[in-house]
Amino acid sequence: MTDAQANAASSQRDRPVVPQWLLQQDMAMCPCGCIGKRKRGSYLTKTIQGGSKLLQQVMFGEDVATARGLLQRIDPRVKLLSLIGLLVVAGLSHSMIALGVMYAATIVLASASALPVSFFIKRVWLFVPIFTGIVVLPATLSVVTPGDIVLTLWHWNGDPQGFTQQGLVAAGRVVARVAVSISLVVLLTLTTPWIRLLAALRSLGVPRIFILIIGMAYRYIFLLLTSVTDMYQARQARTPGTPKHDRSARAFLGASVGALLGKASQLSEEVHQAMTARGFRGEAKTLEIHQPRAIDAYYVFAVVIFGMAILIGDHLLGR
Amino acid sequence: MAVDGNPDASASCHLSQPTEPILVATGLHYSYLDRYPALNDVSVEIRRGERVALLGANGCGKSTLLKVLDGLIFPAKGAYCAFGQEVTEDTMEDVQMSEGFRSRVGFVFQNSDAQVFSPTVREEIAFGPLQLGLSREDTTGRVEDVTAMLGITDLLDRAPYQLSGGQKKKVAIATVLVMGPEVLLFDEPTAALDPRTQYWLMDLIEQLGQSGKTIVHATHDLNALHRIADRCVVFSEDHTIVAEGTPEQTLADRDLLLGVNLIHEQSILPRLRSGPAGCV
Repeated sequence: MTDAQANAASSQRDRPVVPQWLLQQDMAMCPCGCIGKRKRGSYLTKTIQGGSKLLQQVMFGEDVATARGLLQRIDPRVKLLSLIGLLVVAGLSHSMIALGVMYAATIVLASASALPVSFFIKRVWLFVPIFTGIVVLPATLSVVTPGDIVLTLWHWNGDPQGFTQQGLVAAGRVVARVAVSISLVVLLTLTTPWIRLLAALRSLGVPRIFILIIGMAYRYIFLLLTSVTDMYQARQARTPGTPKHDRSARAFLGASVGALLGKASQLSEEVHQAMTARGFRGEAKTLEIHQPRAIDAYYVFAVVIFGMAILIGDHLLGR
Repeated sequence: MAVDGNPDASASCHLSQPTEPILVATGLHYSYLDRYPALNDVSVEIRRGERVALLGANGCGKSTLLKVLDGLIFPAKGAYCAFGQEVTEDTMEDVQMSEGFRSRVGFVFQNSDAQVFSPTVREEIAFGPLQLGLSREDTTGRVEDVTAMLGITDLLDRAPYQLSGGQKKKVAIATVLVMGPEVLLFDEPTAALDPRTQYWLMDLIEQLGQSGKTIVHATHDLNALHRIADRCVVFSEDHTIVAEGTPEQTLADRDLLLGVNLIHEQSILPRLRSGPAGCV
């Protein structure tokens, strides 16, 4: 036997033996091309899709944060301090007009900072009903806030019960305050790159190691989110028909969580080694940028005047 | 250095001549979870300015050896000395020793995601020099120099999750080069890279080698061996070193490469630097 023949024979030996069923040309899909029954996606699908959407939103957010707008030109530390000040002003304001002016000002600022206004409004009002609407709803009822009934819902011992004017005003005030506060926070986060925000927190005295941990957690959330999406898509690719919301789905979820924890653990060990390899010994040193400019002073001045005007106006308008 | 009853190791760490090996590992044994062996009586010497390729199939212990050489993990048995100093968990607790070692040895991980952990590329590249005590001004200057050299200046303010695989690898290399190490350890440098980035990386390793850097890289890619290695250290699948030699000698030994699972019987070997094609 020649060398070539010997090699060929050896290669034949090493080749995997493919079972017959794997070689059969099976018609897996309906040959007539008919459309079957449709089912809505499971909670799992929605969660995973939500994760992907979050990723896209954050990437969009980073683009907006580096755009050339008014707030993007302000030092993040100044923005952070102004935010705290304006949050206090919103908390102290009682007049709906004062709160309305503040909310209108946030929309003007969003527009001046190259933020799509409709996106900004939607982002704020997505959270308000969830975090506030449900909480303040009981306060609008006469059983919690007695007063003039504006809409009767039922009777108790012959007395009408329902929404009261006083309750609705109090609830409206809370909702307006929350809307203004969330708008201010969203303005800050959308117009400030993440790293600059962390640096601003650091300069305001938040411990360095805390900042480092937040920064790394933020960085690796995306990596793990990608892993979750990959795992789910790998399962979906091997699940013919409609995925069931049964025990197997729950088992998959449990297994995914376990696998993800394993991956996170392995990754954290590697990250620690990569940090150690570059001289990390427990206390991280980072680049910090301190470049206050004239525009920051103008912004602080404008915020102080605006805040005082709101408080004075609120006082004059009364409760 | 003495690890697990090797009293002569400390004496052997003494570096008397500049031509002597700068990294010396002797009789290394390492197991993961005390059950899965990764290194089995491995001894290796790396000389100053040398370019060494650690060759072997997947899971043979190349990456583990690189981590030992970088002082990230420590062998259960055996000794490791770098620049005449023993490297153990204990000696690496010493700040002066640790800083000296870390500034002289750089490690490019196979998984760039693990190495690129900061929120921006600028912060990432600045991380190493800052930890080693360089001023912010010097660090900023170095970051600009190294990113200009690697052609990644436009990535400086990007977040790591916005980078492609090739870009991440370039950033990972920048994070190490910015520290100006004397020894560079690369773990599977060309794995999962597109051909253009692979050739870019091989050119870089070649240039770094020519500039006098000591380079150790783990790989099972035989194609560019003659360009990026002066010496090959071959691992078998039972985690031992079975051969050492020049790239020409290693590539010419077909039985060896088959035995350690670096080639298949139908593999076409790359052309040798001299002599006829190594095509089989």
